[in-house]
Amino acid sequence: MLRYYLLLGVRNLVRSPLLTGLMVLTLAVGVAASISTLTILHVMSGDPIPHKSDRLLVPLVDNGPVRNYVPGTQPDDRQLSYRDAANLRRSGQGMRRTAIYDVAGAIEPERPDLPVDQAAGLAVDADFFAMFEVPFLRGAPWTAAEDASRARVVVLGKSRAEKTFGAQDALGKTLRMFGQDFRVVGVLDTWRPVPRYPRLQNGSGGALAGEDGIYIPFATATDLEIPNTASTSCDQDAAPKAGYAGFLDSECTWIQFWFEIASSSDRAALHQHLTRYAAEQRRLGRLPRDAPVQLFDVMEWLRYMNVVSNDARLATWLAFGFLVLCLVNTTGLLLAKFSSRAPEVGVRRALGATRGAIIRQFLAEAAVVGLAGGLVGLLLSLGALALIAQQARQLSMVARMDWVMLGTTFLIALATSLLAGLLPTWRAAQVTPALQLKSQ
Amino acid sequence: MEIRPILSALLRSKTAPLLVAIQVALTLAGLVNALYIVDLRLAASARASGVADEASVFHITTSPVTKPSHEQAMAQRQRDLEVLRALPGVAAASWTNQMPVARSGTTSSYSIDRKQQRPSLLMGTYFAPPGLIDTLGLRLVEGRDFQPGDVLEIDESKDHPDGTFPTTAILSRRAAEALYPGTSALGKPVYLGTGASAPEMRVIGVVETLQTPFAQAGAEGEHSILIPLSVAGQYPRIAVRADRGQRDRAMADAEAALRKMSLAPRVVILRSTEQDRTGRYRNERTLAWMLVAVSGLLLLVTGSGIVGMTMLRISQRRKQIGVRRALGARRIDIVRHFVVENVLVSTAGIAFGLVLGLVLNRLLVTHLQLSPLPPYYLVGGALALWALGILAVSGPAWRAAGIPPATATRSV
Repeated sequence: MLRYYLLLGVRNLVRSPLLTGLMVLTLAVGVAASISTLTILHVMSGDPIPHKSDRLLVPLVDNGPVRNYVPGTQPDDRQLSYRDAANLRRSGQGMRRTAIYDVAGAIEPERPDLPVDQAAGLAVDADFFAMFEVPFLRGAPWTAAEDASRARVVVLGKSRAEKTFGAQDALGKTLRMFGQDFRVVGVLDTWRPVPRYPRLQNGSGGALAGEDGIYIPFATATDLEIPNTASTSCDQDAAPKAGYAGFLDSECTWIQFWFEIASSSDRAALHQHLTRYAAEQRRLGRLPRDAPVQLFDVMEWLRYMNVVSNDARLATWLAFGFLVLCLVNTTGLLLAKFSSRAPEVGVRRALGATRGAIIRQFLAEAAVVGLAGGLVGLLLSLGALALIAQQARQLSMVARMDWVMLGTTFLIALATSLLAGLLPTWRAAQVTPALQLKSQ
Repeated sequence: MEIRPILSALLRSKTAPLLVAIQVALTLAGLVNALYIVDLRLAASARASGVADEASVFHITTSPVTKPSHEQAMAQRQRDLEVLRALPGVAAASWTNQMPVARSGTTSSYSIDRKQQRPSLLMGTYFAPPGLIDTLGLRLVEGRDFQPGDVLEIDESKDHPDGTFPTTAILSRRAAEALYPGTSALGKPVYLGTGASAPEMRVIGVVETLQTPFAQAGAEGEHSILIPLSVAGQYPRIAVRADRGQRDRAMADAEAALRKMSLAPRVVILRSTEQDRTGRYRNERTLAWMLVAVSGLLLLVTGSGIVGMTMLRISQRRKQIGVRRALGARRIDIVRHFVVENVLVSTAGIAFGLVLGLVLNRLLVTHLQLSPLPPYYLVGGALALWALGILAVSGPAWRAAGIPPATATRSV
């Protein structure tokens, strides 16, 4: 029977194309507005590594000066000093760990008359690639031994490898950067996590856009005195001594740190270890604030770093307000449509149809409007997303639809149309057959 | 005009008018808030950076492939400046560390007393030689520009005794007012950070406006300080002002000249302040543009809703209209009936929408740091929706008034 009602619904809608068109379009515009903003919010606030996001942890040690500290407030910066990062690298805690900072330099051309190309990326530990499940196209990460010997090795991002070496195999080739010859030990496959959670405070495009081209060992980078090209926060009381060694010895914060633990139940033990570490450092005369050490998993970290902007939230709120308006509008139009069919309802009721049958028939008709609205709305939201991606480069990575959002589109359209159909259907079911038959 | 019969006709079937009133209310609430945000964003993106003629200014960042010594870096910078100044179409060139609205730079905290517990103000910190003010076209409103004697050159690779720092500074007016409210900041001290070893500088000048590289919303976007400190820096930068209308040619010439005379291989990146401004406000503009589109759709959907509802009510009342026409009502009387009916419905919707709009605004204020809605937005929005209602209803009403009495009453 439902199939028959749906068919009937299609026929009835085709009979008055103007009114139907208006309904479908209203619904489609409302759905498109809410789906395109919701997609952006969904991708921005999505879990970039769902199966292990609770096992990847960021420690935060507050090493700020005591003078402008209000107990209970958050640290001034969201990174670590080199001293803390170096101690945590040595700590052996967790299954894997990595320190991260931003490096950028020029790739010296083979011939002096060629233009200099700039490469930006990260200084990381060998564990980085396994921790964040970075896919390799060729080669592999450097080894722990190469980490220890501060080897001049580099892993290239896919587009960087193509840009520098073209169609040639980059593996084993040498790149001259930072005044040294770096050997290519690996080339990555396409890897663009959104948001770029391993290093949100980067110097190469921000939390959502941009890409890293080179990855070099952390120990090699600090050995070559390569400066951090993302944000560095130094307190003026503890102005660093001259030179790179003085900088490493300072309380300046500029390093992102990650632990990977074997199971999420190890988190408490890690936290305990870090608290003991902080107490020990305090005995050595550091960390005057005596603030508790904090630990964040991936989703907590994304929230703490405010990855979802207020603008994105605002747009979503407004879009859903707009959808409510479209719902009210569709209700009105359906009311107009259904109330003109009172005679038909009268005849059906007189021939023995129950109220329930009438309700099912009219709701099926509303659902047909919803499906059509969802289809048109989907096309409109794809267009809207393409436009948004073109307008704001920051949003180009997040303005993408996935299967979840595709399903949500139809769900929202269907729910809206059924909700809009409730009142008109109820009104249609109230028709008294006798009165209708008499007036005919 | 008789309102009573119209009102009683309205009350006989309430659902349809109620739906229209709800639509009007939602539209009004959304419209005023959306347009207010548009206005705020566009106003923010039109704020002056302090650069007098943004269309003529650009800047050049160079980064050497291998780290040069301090002496090499200083020599390179001096040669770059000489080459740039000699180019035709270049009016002025100065070194600096950062540019307004360029979105990357240094911010430090400053105080007015070493004994302060907390610093007074965070300021965008420009390292500036004499003449940067002229190159950017900043307007000096008090005091003087730096003189060559004010500049302190520091080799960052060497240790220096505590407090080695320039002793003069120039503030933006907003920064001067924030540090020394009510009096002139000229001649007064400013300290970098707090504590006994905080370097002291005297304010020797105040410029009208100078935004920070980040051009944050609110007053903090104009808290800037210029300090005559000369360092090699990671990314040496040179600000250039071209002659009017010559910028694009000057940029091309500058790039070619710098590449040709590089002492060592290096990356040379040129950006105009206009490009910086576009990049800085891209997200603001996108949001504003999206909100304008949504506002337009709001009006369109509500307008079409009113048209549909009027058509429904007309079809329900064909006979009554015919009777009224047969009894001597003019076309204008019929039109007036529907227009008055719509104005009544709109007014109810607008009254509700004003409340809803204020509630929505309050929500946005508490959750998304928006400022309160000025009252004239509500007045304007109400007027717009009245006009929309009358416009949307008059078409169908005029057609209804054309119903010939004979056809309409035939079946009675």
